[in-house]
Order: sequence, then C-alpha cells, then structure tokens
Amino acid sequence: MKKLAIGLYAAVVAALMVWGFYQAIYVAPDEATMHEVQRIFYYHVPIAMLCFLFFAISLLGSIAYLAWRRSRPSLANAGDAWALSAAEVGVVYCTVVLVTGPLWGRRAWGIWWTWDWRLTTTLVLWLIYVSYLLLRRFAAGPQMQTLAAVLGIFGALDVPIVYMSNRWWRTQHPAPVFGGDADSGIKDPTMLAAFGWNVLAWFAWGALILLLRYQLERRHQKNAALEAQEALKSLV
Amino acid sequence: MDTRAVLDHEFTVAAYVAVWVIQLGYVAFLVAKWRAEKSVERQNAGHSR
Repeated sequence: MKKLAIGLYAAVVAALMVWGFYQAIYVAPDEATMHEVQRIFYYHVPIAMLCFLFFAISLLGSIAYLAWRRSRPSLANAGDAWALSAAEVGVVYCTVVLVTGPLWGRRAWGIWWTWDWRLTTTLVLWLIYVSYLLLRRFAAGPQMQTLAAVLGIFGALDVPIVYMSNRWWRTQHPAPVFGGDADSGIKDPTMLAAFGWNVLAWFAWGALILLLRYQLERRHQKNAALEAQEALKSLV
Repeated sequence: MDTRAVLDHEFTVAAYVAVWVIQLGYVAFLVAKWRAEKSVERQNAGHSR
C-alpha cells in the first residue's frame, strides 16, 4: 500500500515536472530585454525559494533534537532525521541555484560572478550547510548530533539575511520577484502561471526526495541501534 | 538565428541540463545509500539468527 502511494505520488510529480517544463519553455513569452535566457528564471527562482523552506525544516528538526534529546529520545531522533534530510535536500537545491545563477548572469550581465550581497550570502549559506553535512559524515561520538544541531541553527540564521540582502543593500542581483517595491513582480499572467506551475512542481519533487531521505535516515538510525545492541551483547 | 540568440539558447539548455544532472545525481546517491542500508540489515539479520 505504501509503495503504491509513493508510486502514484511519483507519477503526479513527473506529470507536474513535464507540465512545468512545457509552460516555461513553450507557453511563457520571451522577456523583452533578456529574451530566451530569461527562461532560466523559471527554475532558478522557485528552487531558490524552496531551498529556504528546506533549511527552515532543518532548523525545526535541529531545535526539536536539542529540546528533546534527553527527555524524549525517540522524538529527538526523528527531529534529527528531519534536520539531516532537509539540510541535504536544501544543499542540493542551493547548488542548483549557485549553478544556474552564474549561467544566467553571464548572458544578462556579461560576468559569471560578482561579490554582491545576494550572491555572497547565498554562497555562505551553501558553505555552512556543506560543513554541516561534512560534520555529519566524518565526525563521530555522542556529541556529534548536538554539534550538528547547533551548526544547523546557526546556518539557518543566514536564510533571512539572504532573503533581505537585495532589499537592505544595493545589489547587482535583480530586485525581489515578490515582496519588493510596487514595480516588482511578474506582470504577464502567462509568465506568472509558468512560474506558479514550476514552484508547485519543484515543491512536489523536493517533498518526494525529502520523504525518501527521511525514511532512509530512520532506517539507518534503526540499523545503528541494532548494531550497538549486538556490540553490547558480545561484550557481556 | 543571430549569435546572441544561439548563445542564449545554449545557456538556457546548459542551465536545464545542470538542474537535472544535480537532481538525478542526488537520487543516484539515495539509491546507493538505500542499497548499503539493505545490506547492513541483511548482515544484522544473519547475526541475530
């Protein structure tokens, strides 16, 4: 039953992906100044928005782990699994943002990269969560999860700075698509629809890989606990 | 098609290919990890018997 539900959901995600792609490439009109290269926007912006969501889930998981690690260890472990899974998916999404952004920038600005506030804070966010994943991968011992949770919370502090960077400071990066001044936003309804479909498709895809990663981490925790029990039995 | 349009098209395609290489690369990593956990489970089941 569970496998069937996952299969059905994966089919819906695939359909949304195809529809989002069709909308972005064939339905939305060419933008007046940037022409075809502006279509990168339909992947770049939704994925950037969703990367914030995954880091927010990681933050909540880290807080849950720190809050319950002594009083309710099973809930704390679930929180830790959410924190790790969401950080991993967030890093994947952030990597996409950092790769597609320079490809767009090269055509729009004539340069691959500039040390502007939005770009730099996004790179710092990516580096913090890559260091979180390296800590999870290579550190050992009872304090590892606690240290990782603290780093996860620290890393999430950069998310509002990234979000506000092109509001607080003058940047080369374009103005915010939503929540900026009166002139910001997508005016063309076809472009808005293409953008909306891609947000939905990438959200559905992200939720699918996040759930799969969470299940995998829970399985890993179960196996690690069993191995620890076996090791204790062999000592007695 | 002028050079600008060709380059725009190539950069757009490159960006979409990069998106899917990264996403599917991550899925491949998940599959490898899933197989590794399965193998650990089989070993644990062997020990407990």
